[in-house]
Amino acid sequence: MPAKYAIGIDLGTTNSALAYASLEEGKLELLSIPQIVAPATVEPRPLLPSFLYLAPSQEAAAGAYNLPWAVKRDYAVGEFSRQQGADAPTRTVAGAKSWLCNTRVDRHQAILPWNAPADVAKVSPVEASRRYLEHLAGAWNAAFPDAPLSRQTVVLTVPASFDASARELTREAALSAGLPENLVLLEEPQAALYAWLASAEGGWRRILREGDTLLVCDIGGGTSDFTLIGVTSENGELALKRIAVGNHILVGGDNMDLTLAHLARTAFAEKKVDVDAWQSVALWHTCRAAKELLLSNEGPARQPVTVLGRGKRLVGGAISVDLDRKSICSTLVEGFFPLCGIGAQPARQRASGFRELGLPFEADAAITRHLAHFLTQHGAGKESPVRPTHVLFNGGVLKAAPLRERLLEVIASWFDTTAPPRQLEGNHDLDFAVARGAAYYGMAKGGKGVRIRGGTARSYYVGIETAGLAVPGAPRPLRARCVVPFGMEEGSETQVGGEEIGLVVGEQAHFRFFSSSTRKEDKPGDVLDRWSEEELVETDSMEATLPAAKGAQDGFVPVRFVSRITELGVLELWCESTVSEEKWKLEFSVREEG
Amino acid sequence: MLGLKVLFRIWGEPAFASRVAPLLESSPEAEAKTSEAQPEKKEPARSEALTLLAVLQREGRLIDFFMEPISSFPDAQIGSAVRSVHRDCAAALERLFAIEPLRAEAEDAAIEVPAGYDPAQFRLVGDIHGAPVRGKLSHPGWKATRCEMPGWNGRPEAAFVLAACEVQV
Repeated sequence: MPAKYAIGIDLGTTNSALAYASLEEGKLELLSIPQIVAPATVEPRPLLPSFLYLAPSQEAAAGAYNLPWAVKRDYAVGEFSRQQGADAPTRTVAGAKSWLCNTRVDRHQAILPWNAPADVAKVSPVEASRRYLEHLAGAWNAAFPDAPLSRQTVVLTVPASFDASARELTREAALSAGLPENLVLLEEPQAALYAWLASAEGGWRRILREGDTLLVCDIGGGTSDFTLIGVTSENGELALKRIAVGNHILVGGDNMDLTLAHLARTAFAEKKVDVDAWQSVALWHTCRAAKELLLSNEGPARQPVTVLGRGKRLVGGAISVDLDRKSICSTLVEGFFPLCGIGAQPARQRASGFRELGLPFEADAAITRHLAHFLTQHGAGKESPVRPTHVLFNGGVLKAAPLRERLLEVIASWFDTTAPPRQLEGNHDLDFAVARGAAYYGMAKGGKGVRIRGGTARSYYVGIETAGLAVPGAPRPLRARCVVPFGMEEGSETQVGGEEIGLVVGEQAHFRFFSSSTRKEDKPGDVLDRWSEEELVETDSMEATLPAAKGAQDGFVPVRFVSRITELGVLELWCESTVSEEKWKLEFSVREEG
Repeated sequence: MLGLKVLFRIWGEPAFASRVAPLLESSPEAEAKTSEAQPEKKEPARSEALTLLAVLQREGRLIDFFMEPISSFPDAQIGSAVRSVHRDCAAALERLFAIEPLRAEAEDAAIEVPAGYDPAQFRLVGDIHGAPVRGKLSHPGWKATRCEMPGWNGRPEAAFVLAACEVQV
């Protein structure tokens, strides 16, 4: 049965969505996702909040979390779970996606909710992601029983900052949730750009010119992401090429809501009103609504923030303060988007010997400083940062015009130019662009439409201990050999040059593995003797077990590395024997290091 | 007789044959089966009116508001509480019913009422005679442009519960 639909899934840190298009008609639509909104109550919504509530057994036994397509559920995904995140935080998993790329923990181990008491049946970050995707798959299959998801063309988006290991884990979660084997992973900022291309319907060639550089600025609920895309020319046709991606920055809209709630709490304190824990949660919710009103173009000058009384005393117990538009705007704008120089560096985490393992939230909430650092890092030297000519915004936070204007203002201030960067004209669907763009890409893959080229967003390195005399107390020096160059294209293979390596037969071969988003000139086989901590980031190590092999000399097999990026964008690293036909595939080892 | 006619036409006209073929493949039993496979349209386990009340309480605390005696509170106190109830209930109504004015014309605009008008859509006020009539639109009316109530699948004994009691543990 051939695929009938192209489906785009945006598995977000705080919200997920599914867009689809019939391959015949090509019209993009959003799937309405039935979800638990209260115990025993199912309602379809366009967004599925990426929260997982692990219900106590007595609630599950009452069938309160059953769905039209699934019974005996002891967990819930979606809107109700998001609310439970505030009311029952020790039973609610939030931000599972950010955990997926946290190499400091074992992503297969049941560790979430982080810090949950012992009697809660915790789940792993991979399992939580699987449940979100399984919910989306169930909703799709219930709505389209004649076109099961496993038989459609499915595109799943991941942050551009996800390295090969985090992508592999996402794919693993997706396949076990019932997504098809030929699933394609697409970077979120690219998906947002595809959505814009889809809405521009070919008109983009009139808007962008050769040599233009596009900055995709994606600020979501929990994370921010930057990507640079260049406009080049190929055989006289304009083409798009991804130039650089930034790191995963754990700052987003939620930080802004919390900031407002803190401001409101201070205002309450001045009125001698004490806000209790429950009211703080309500305050956060109210502040989110107030933020949207105050930052909208025709926002009122003042906005009262009220927290209703708990219990039945709604009016009697209500407390209220006024927030004014000016001070809110300046708090958010100056706090998160301060004016800064292009040479600015985000404040680094204080280095301490012992750090809690939780998520590595940013020490610096100033998104403009992260952006300055990103543009400088990817320019040709410190003195010439990349100058974007156009900006594409994505993420619900950027619905607020003052924030968009400030971002454009700050970027313009960095460059001595008469042509400041402009927001890409046309439709910006800030909530659903990623899902829509992914579905559009699913259609475009069949041949229609323009594609963004780019290959891998990072270069990858295998760590190799140097041979030499052992020195007691000192580890052998480590070298990094480049195995995947930056921008290696899908569907290509590279024989990695350099010296052969001896692997021990019958034992597990284990390699430390590194990636870099900034070293773009390294070629396969290049060996680095030293590098700065910022240049090369260690990710999950890779391993393979070698069965006793032919041609082994003294228990060693000499091998060379071969790297491959499959058509689906999966990185594979192989060890090929140089004395026989044998080869072994290395797999990510995402278990915790001892 | 019919059988013979069909036989000859199948021989003579390939197009006719291709139209007959599907009839042979789907037996009446098979058709009955496919209609069985459709999920039964179940009666809601409780009145949707109760579900709507539960939504408005859960999202906008409307029942708390109506059940609280408010005569002793100053207007400002009531006003600030109402803002929040208003915002959240309005959002729920918008999502479930997408309510729009029945008539697009502005209030006080002159409109014509057709001769065979439906009293469910037009309520004439004043001195009513003759048809069609012209008049001034004093209220444009309301209509729901959709009706998407949440499904409820709780136990029968919980059907009348509008809001669970909350227990801090």
